Parts: sequence; C-alpha cells; structure tokens
Amino acid sequence: MAADVYKQKNEDVPNGSLVPPDRQHAERSESPTPGLAQGTEPGAGQEGAMFVHAKSYEDLTGADNQDVIPRSPYQTEGAQDELTKMEEISKDFSELSTQLTGIALDLEEEIRQNEEDKLDLSPQASRRDSVLSGEEEEDVTMETWRMHQKHVFVLSEAGKPVYSRYGSEEALSSTMGVMMALVSFLEAEKNAIRSIHADGYKVVFVRRSPLVLVAVAKTRQSEQEIAQELLYIYYQIVSLLTWTQLNRIFQQKQNYDLRRLLAGSERITNNLIDLMARDPSFLMGAARCLPMPAGIRDAVSSCLQQAKAKSLVFAILLSKNQLVSLVRKKDQFLHPIDLHLLFNLISSSSSFREGEAWTPICLPKFNSSGFFHAHISYLEQNTDLCLVLISTDREDFFTVSDCKRKFQERLKKRGVYHALLEALHTPFYSASQVGIPELRHFIYKSKSSGLFTSPEIDVPYITEEEKERLLGLYQYLHSRAHNSSRPLHNIYYTGPNENLLAWVTSAFELYVCFSPLGTKATALTAVNKLMKWIRKEEDQLFILSPQTY
Amino acid sequence: MSGQRVDAKVVMLGKEYVGKTSLVERYVHNRFLVGPYQNTIGAAFVAKVMSVGGQTVTLGIWDTAGSERYEAMSRIYYRGAKAAIVCYDLTDSSSFQRAKFWVNELQNFEENCRIYLCGTKSDLLDEDRRKREIDFHDVQDYADEIKAELFETSSKTGQNVDELFQRVAEDYVSTAFEMSEEKGLDLNQKNPNTYFYSCCHH
Repeated sequence: MAADVYKQKNEDVPNGSLVPPDRQHAERSESPTPGLAQGTEPGAGQEGAMFVHAKSYEDLTGADNQDVIPRSPYQTEGAQDELTKMEEISKDFSELSTQLTGIALDLEEEIRQNEEDKLDLSPQASRRDSVLSGEEEEDVTMETWRMHQKHVFVLSEAGKPVYSRYGSEEALSSTMGVMMALVSFLEAEKNAIRSIHADGYKVVFVRRSPLVLVAVAKTRQSEQEIAQELLYIYYQIVSLLTWTQLNRIFQQKQNYDLRRLLAGSERITNNLIDLMARDPSFLMGAARCLPMPAGIRDAVSSCLQQAKAKSLVFAILLSKNQLVSLVRKKDQFLHPIDLHLLFNLISSSSSFREGEAWTPICLPKFNSSGFFHAHISYLEQNTDLCLVLISTDREDFFTVSDCKRKFQERLKKRGVYHALLEALHTPFYSASQVGIPELRHFIYKSKSSGLFTSPEIDVPYITEEEKERLLGLYQYLHSRAHNSSRPLHNIYYTGPNENLLAWVTSAFELYVCFSPLGTKATALTAVNKLMKWIRKEEDQLFILSPQTY
Repeated sequence: MSGQRVDAKVVMLGKEYVGKTSLVERYVHNRFLVGPYQNTIGAAFVAKVMSVGGQTVTLGIWDTAGSERYEAMSRIYYRGAKAAIVCYDLTDSSSFQRAKFWVNELQNFEENCRIYLCGTKSDLLDEDRRKREIDFHDVQDYADEIKAELFETSSKTGQNVDELFQRVAEDYVSTAFEMSEEKGLDLNQKNPNTYFYSCCHH
C-alpha cells in the first residue's frame, strides 16, 4: 500500500526523500534557477491552477470594483495585462501599499498629504490620548485594555460602532466617533487619512464604504500589512452579508446599527484576527497543502470529482486549515482570500461537528453580490477532515448531502479512506528532512498554483511567542520584498537569533530561516539544495493535478 | 433521489441564545455541552430515527440559527415542515415576543405545520423561581388559541426533552395514518413497515 511505503521510507532515511523511489520523475527540471518561468517552478500544477489567475480575476470580481475607495488616484495604476499572478492576488493590498508607502508621482503632493495626515498629531501624544481616553470612566480595565498589541475597530460611516476586538462597542462609541471625525475631517479637504504613527503605535485606516476599519497596533508589521488584515476583516463581514446587502442597508438607513445583523459573528472575526497572527497563509496569499503521498491525494481527488451535482461549484476537503483536495467547476476559480475566509469560518466554530451545516455564504472575491450555499460537515466526528461543498442552489441541500455520502462510499470502496486517515496521522514533515544542518524553517510558495508549503515549526521556536516572532520576521522580509516603491528580489537578513533569506522571483517565493551561525555563502548553497529537495518532493507537498467537474 | 431517508421535517425556530442547538444536542446525542456560547451558523441538519408504537420514524431536524442575519433564509428551512418547535427562553421575555413572530410566520406560510411551543432553561427556575419572566398559564392560553402544544424543557437536566420529540413523532404518525387512510398516500415507500407495506405496495 502506498501509505506503507511512504511511512517506511520516512523511518529508514531520516534525511531522505518522502517519495517512494518509483515515483521520482525525470521530466521536470532538477535544478530550478531564478529564470524559471511561471508554471514550471516546483509545486506548479500540471493541469492549470485551482485559483484565480490574471485573466480570470477581473471577470470574477467585477462587482468588487465598486468598493474601491472612490477617491483613490492610484486605483488604475499599473497595466492590468502585465500584472503577474502574485500581483493579482494581492491587488487590493498593493493598491493600498501604493497609497501607504509609495512614492507618489507628484512628490510635492505626497509631502503635503503626509503633513495633513499627520498634522493632527501635534502634539502627538495628547491627540492619541484623546482618541483613546474617551472611555476611561466607562471601562475599569482601561490599563489592560490599552496594553493590547493590536486593536481593531469597525464602524459605520455614521460613526456607529460595529465591532471592537477588545471591550464592548457601546463603551467605545465616543472613540469611534473620534475616528470617524478624523476620517471625515480629511475627506472634507478632498484627502484621505491612511495612517498615524505615534509613540510606537501605528493607527491604520481602511475605508470601504459604508464601513471604516481602524487598527491601532504596536506590532512590527508595516502599514501595508495591517491594512491587508483590515481588508480581510472587511471581506469577512461581506462574506456574511454580501456587499449588496451591506450597501442597501446603509442606503436605507444611514445610522443603522449593523451589530444587529452581525450578532454572533464576533467569534468569527476574533478568530480571523488571531489566525492572521499565527498562520502564514494570509501573508502568502496562498493556501497551504497538507503533505501526503501523491497517489492517495489523486485517488481522493478523483472520488471527490465523481461525487458531483449540477449545482456544485467547489468541493474542498481540508484538515486543520490545510488543503487536502479541491475540485472546482471548469472555468471557475476560487480566490485564496475566499478560501481563507472559509477556513476561518470552519476553524472558528465547533458546531460543524454536530451534523450537517447548510449555510448561505458570500465569497466576496468570487462574487460580492450573491450568496452561495455551503454544506459543511466533518467526515467523522473524531477526525479533522472537513468537507465543504459549495452550491449555487439553496434548495439543493439533500442533493449536496448525497454527494458527501457518495464521496465517502467511494473512498471506502476504493480503499483510500484508511490510507487518507493514515496520511493525516503521519506527523508533519520537519525541516531536518531536507538534510541541511543549519536550516531551521522555510516557506516556499509556488506562484502559479497559489499553494505554499512549510515544515513544522521546530526547536527553538517552541512557545507561541517564539512562533509568532518567527512569523513576524517573515512578515518583515515579505514587506521589504513587496514594498511597492522599492521591491527587493533577494534579501539576506542577519539577526541576533537567526539569519533569514528571502528570494522572490516571478515564479516562486522562498523565505528561509537559518541558525545564526551560518554565513551568506552557506545559505546560498543551502537554498539551492532546498530548491532541489522541494522539486524532488513536489508531488507530496503540492496538488499537482487538480480536478475539475 | 436523496440518500437521506427522512419521514418528517422538523424545524427548530426561536431567538438566538434560547437554546435550540442544546435541545437538539440533548435529544440526539443525550448530552449537554458546557462552554462558551456558540451560535449556529446557517442551519444544521440531523436525522434521528425513533420508534413510535412499533413503527420507525425518521425525523429530519433542522436546527436554524437564531440570528437576524439568516431571517431571510429561514423559509427554506421551514418550508414543508411537518412540525415546528418554536423555542423561547423562560427567563427572557423578549424571546417570547420573537416566538410569537415565528408562530405568525408559520401560520401565514405553513398552515399544515404543527406548532410546539417550547420554553427552555427550566432548570434555571428550579434554582430561583423569581427568574421566570414568562408565565406558564399565559403561554398555555396562547397555545390553546393557536392550537399548539406547550412544553417546558431543560436541556441541562434533560427534563421533558424526550417527551417533546416523542410527541412530535407520535403526532406525525397519527396524522400520516389518517392521511394515508383518507387519501391513500404512499408514505410507506420510505417506511418499510410490514402492515403498511402490504396495503400500499404496488
């Protein structure tokens, strides 16, 4: 059995291949070079990608254009046809980054703008105090409340609180009023506030009419990344209501209290914010694959593909926020952001374990004006394998539920189910398997497939703080590499506790963490070796042959 | 067509946090989960096989989300339902107002759906009588008026929970029996009961 071979191999050769020898393949390039074309890098799908690519993106998100900040002079910047996939995926974010950190075409205007953005800050501290002090009397836990690393607020354009990560929204209504006042004050001048930097804090504003999202962060993230997180929260809200409904509500009643409609969703939003601090998927704008023998994955995918129904658009099998298999309707592509929102929804609620859930859900990047209907269930109560079937027809519950049953029957009939469970129980791979002594951890993303792989975070990053610190370092490298005014392709970063290397090409992105004792020269040799290893293992680490209906 | 063999569709309705999911949990899995409140997302479907007077009945229970966000969707969950369990929290009078809203909905759109009023969290009253915000007799009068059954349950202790669902199933069976006698409906293709099988099989 494939699974046995896989396991045995692992035990015999600790630093060796994850692939059974007969599955080694010669047809793909052994030694990837920076000149590697998109679509041939390790992890690139052999039969096309599962996620949106440059051409399909605009078609799929047509409605989304409406919610771009109307006043932005940069929104049309960049020739659309020249955008690479990565840029497409992070289109929103790069737009923002242009606004946040870009060197404007008109330097003078930029400077003036900056002055306006910041003029409210003098004297810096007192202004921020007044922003935060409104509820000093109302909130007894004021000091601890203020100590939080990152606050997130969502408010309506009427200044009404919609969400606060910490503390009750009622108690914060005056604070939110001040936030809205800041936004409006600058808008009256035909300008827009983007961020305030003061006293180690970054206050980042994202305007997505009819909502305003604000983060107050002490983290090392760039404004660009904080704004990206705020956008995710915005999309999270849209996924519950649709963009159309959200707008209709506020058109009818400007001072509507949106919390009525969002009741109970705070947990989903909280989970999203926590997840973004822990899971590199969001930073990478890609989905993480659960490593498993290619034979098993292909068999699972074909079982999933055969259990089809007319109204089914996507079928997603996942385990703990990692992708096992994804089947999509031909010509329909899922956006990584939509997939992340689904993953977040599932991980934020244990209630999906209690039977079959059938819920309306909007995938904002696919179509922000309508609902899909998602059938969400775990294959068995005590496994982490969760199946999401996305249908266009809300009346189709029993048909879709039947697809799940057929899928499970087929898995068992083909003898794959057991192998699948075994693959889940096999521990995640570790960086030591690559056979590079100074290698501690890495993240490798294939741009054309929208997938990334990453080993388990090992010693010395054991505690949660250490793990988040490592992710913070990756975040830092990522923001440097993707800085819109000065993007970098190669970064070597020497820190007190580790050395890191980032390598960004048009085909892939690689972030590597080495022990602090290595040198730049050894790191370069190691990266070549690592790339060869990833190429060798790619059919375990990635989904190379995605299925369509 | 469908792999799930369901005889009667039962829908749980009511304001959020009244304990619809807990009621289903207690009935289907006979457990009460302690922990932070988790609101239902959309709706959850569970099928439960039970026996009524020697006959097997499968209840397909739709546990809907109480959040207003899903209100527009609620019709797909109660459409064609044989029974609706409309829940309210005995310690929260606003939840009873919401229950009345659901009763109106059902009366307007699902005439043939039997209504069961269910006051939840009765164990809280055992601890402190003064917590009761909804008088039993008032609700009984209301129930008579709308021809509904009334139960007061506790998912924590299990009090009255099985009785409620048993009643739902019994009422379904007796109605189904009447209907099959009157109109000769072939209900039993899904319901391999020997007695009916012989008379309705063709």
